[in-house]
Amino acid sequence: MSSPSMVNAPTLTADMAARNRRDARNDRLFAWLLAACGMIVLVTLVGAAGSTLWGGREAFAKFGWHFLVSTEWDPGTDTYGALVPIFGTVVTALIALVIAVPVSFGISLFLTEVAPNWLRSPVGSAIELLAGIPSIIYGMWGLFIFSPFMSAHVKPWLVNYMSTQPDDGKVAWIPAHVPFIGKVFTSQYPFGGGVLTAGIVLAIMVIPFISSVMREVFQTVPTRLKESAYALGSSTWEVVWDIVLPYTRSAVIGGVFLGLGRALGETMAVAFVLGNAFQLSASLLEPGSSIASAIANQFSEAVGLQKSALMALAFLLFVVTFIVLLIARLMLRRLASKEGR
Amino acid sequence: MAGNNALYVRRRIANIVALLLSSLATLIGLFFLAWILWETLKQGISALSPTLFTKITAYGEDGGLANAMVGSLLINFIGIAIATPIGVMAGMWLAEYANRSKLGASVRFLNDILLSAPSIVLGLFVYTIVVLPMKNLTDGAITFSGLAGGIALSLIALPVVVRTTDEMLRLVPSTLREAALSLGVPQWKLTMQILVRSARSGIITGVLLALARISGETAPLLFTAFGNNYMSLNPIDKMASLPQVIYQYANDPGEGLHAIAWAGAFVVTMFVLLLSLGSRLLFARSKVSND
Amino acid sequence: MTDPAFSPAPAAEAAMVHAGNGTPAPAKITVRDLNFFYNGFHALKGISMDIPEKQVTAIIGPSGCGKSTLLRIFNRIYNIYPKLEAKGEIVLDGENILDPKYSLNRLRSKVGMVFQKPVPFPMTIFENVAYGIRHHERLGRAEMENRVEQALRSAALWDEVKDKLKQNALGLSGGQQQRLCIARGIALKPEVLLLDEPTSALDPIATSRIEQLVEELKADFTIVIVTHNMQQAARCSDQTAFMYLGELIEFDKTEKIFTKPNKKQTEDYITGRFG
Repeated sequence: MSSPSMVNAPTLTADMAARNRRDARNDRLFAWLLAACGMIVLVTLVGAAGSTLWGGREAFAKFGWHFLVSTEWDPGTDTYGALVPIFGTVVTALIALVIAVPVSFGISLFLTEVAPNWLRSPVGSAIELLAGIPSIIYGMWGLFIFSPFMSAHVKPWLVNYMSTQPDDGKVAWIPAHVPFIGKVFTSQYPFGGGVLTAGIVLAIMVIPFISSVMREVFQTVPTRLKESAYALGSSTWEVVWDIVLPYTRSAVIGGVFLGLGRALGETMAVAFVLGNAFQLSASLLEPGSSIASAIANQFSEAVGLQKSALMALAFLLFVVTFIVLLIARLMLRRLASKEGR
Repeated sequence: MAGNNALYVRRRIANIVALLLSSLATLIGLFFLAWILWETLKQGISALSPTLFTKITAYGEDGGLANAMVGSLLINFIGIAIATPIGVMAGMWLAEYANRSKLGASVRFLNDILLSAPSIVLGLFVYTIVVLPMKNLTDGAITFSGLAGGIALSLIALPVVVRTTDEMLRLVPSTLREAALSLGVPQWKLTMQILVRSARSGIITGVLLALARISGETAPLLFTAFGNNYMSLNPIDKMASLPQVIYQYANDPGEGLHAIAWAGAFVVTMFVLLLSLGSRLLFARSKVSND
Repeated sequence: MTDPAFSPAPAAEAAMVHAGNGTPAPAKITVRDLNFFYNGFHALKGISMDIPEKQVTAIIGPSGCGKSTLLRIFNRIYNIYPKLEAKGEIVLDGENILDPKYSLNRLRSKVGMVFQKPVPFPMTIFENVAYGIRHHERLGRAEMENRVEQALRSAALWDEVKDKLKQNALGLSGGQQQRLCIARGIALKPEVLLLDEPTSALDPIATSRIEQLVEELKADFTIVIVTHNMQQAARCSDQTAFMYLGELIEFDKTEKIFTKPNKKQTEDYITGRFG
């Protein structure tokens, strides 16, 4: 630094040049530091995929493609196949979507078109509150409250009217005439958990995610578009079905995929109620297993090949959710670009 | 005219049915929200007792959750302490430096994916890069640790902080940048001293949301912090956390443990809901002051 | 905007435009054949003009004519955006500021700028003024307080804020905020002050205070003001430049421009026949 007594023009310029260089250097360092922080996002994604692939290499090497299609999961013989947890993951997530998508659509329709204005904000906040509840709370509620409820009220009814093996031996009309449905609702256990229960709990979990995306995209529909439809005498429902939905289709699908991604990767809510049984069953009332719940239940005690197999499962889960979420974001971005954002 | 009339009636009925169904869907959502909250309150409050906060989990049914609460606070603190600076700087990079670049756009996009990536896989990632190397380096003396748990949670908090910082900074009018630069202030000073200040409440909101998000996380802690029946303040020791103890107790046949699990669930839920309420209030305020 | 009835003067002619003969003050800024490109779009075409020292020069013209663009080149604030390019020369005190070697720090301590909307920094009133000074000079506490007070007095704001220097600047009224921004700019003791439509976001009372201030400030600073308000240019400037479609159409004493302009386009604009 130049001494303050030397305040004349040449020193000032030299001082300025020095400061200029210093600023430029600091700016460059700062930019690099920030960029490095930004890269951590990439490192995390690549690292999560890489570390699980690396951890699962023994299982992949030992079982090859057979890993994906084998139903056997037996630490006794050290044989591991991923089909049961994959099947459980997919089925619970699909049940969740089947329930959550129409309900979320209904909620977002209610919040954007039906409800009076004063009601929209409180109800919307309440639904978003659902998203804030930790998944372990869903798990506990599912295990201690909802499973017994299912076991006491829903399951007997389903077994009675839908199963080919009802308790009283009299097969109802539907299972007698619709093929396969009887198998879906057969149950050998009094347990209230199982695939259907897990799917319902997951559905409640993803409803706020899907409905908040849908609500947001419904609000992006230009008012003049809706007004011109109303002007032709369309009813609210017709405006939503013929104008709002087509306009927002890609983003609505994106929201559904976002919910699917959440449902696939969710651990706790499922681990509590699924029952952690490694068996392939067509019945939704039987216990099952999902990738995330298998890892949560077994990883701490697993050694050797079992640990590797669990890592391999994690890799599969990560890749699949990544693809699903990728599709979701791409679909959501399409609407954003339509808006010219 | 009769045909038209029938059509008209059918359309009206379709409309009424649709609107009723949508109201029903909303009621279903609210019903489950109320049911879950009600049970958590009921079961949790009835199990609340002073020993919950004074005794540790080593006493089992006669114990409390003191070590888990302290552990949770520590692990969450580590997670936020790591995620906040990195996330804020990454957000600054996205908004101020890479806003128009392809790399920036891809990072922003991938950050949104990380936001909903399965947390259990992130737990396994941290297990691989922190727990295993520690174990190998120390010959098994150090394995699972609160630090590893905090790192795992930081990866979950990170995308939340990145996203809110990025969004909040992009809301800052560009005239503020021009005004500072026309005074000769360098870009890094502008970013650290002016832009951050004007987006401050938004960024704090993001950090609070991230804290709410990680406070209930269980899965990534199972193989990182693991759990500890005793009180531990040492970050490289195994550490208990509320969600992990809840998980363990709920899966135990003991009824007394279930009650403690409910009490823990109540504490976690209240903490998370108050946090999201607080961040909402803060955000509402920041929105007004930005106008 | 592209009025077919109106054909801009050929570039060669526009390039010759100078302030009328007998300008008393020497040129502080000399612009020579300045061209500006915006993603390839030719936004300023062959601008040449001499901006006299310690006078107020107004730039007027319909929106999109390039008047703000021109102003933003004088302190190279356009540099922060990609794909913008200026060609030509802008000579300030004998040096070309468009030369990449010209220090931005030096340029911005010599050329201050005030924007359309008041943009106070999110800090106290005192800090708003002190912030810029701190980056350029190391001052003691008393010196700094003195400097801030001077700047606030020059901006005719001191009496209104002297008791609340520690309060957040965002609490001031729009007009006060704009005067604070002017204080912030002149606190660096610049030689040139650029004002980009400084009153467009203000009410008439605040506007007249700013105009009065501009009148006072020209004793110390060379002022360039962009405005879409012709009366404002007529009221407070000594020279006026009229721009249209990226070209400088006419540049002369304000009185002359507003009473008997040389060009028909200027006359049309002044009399409100377009724009």
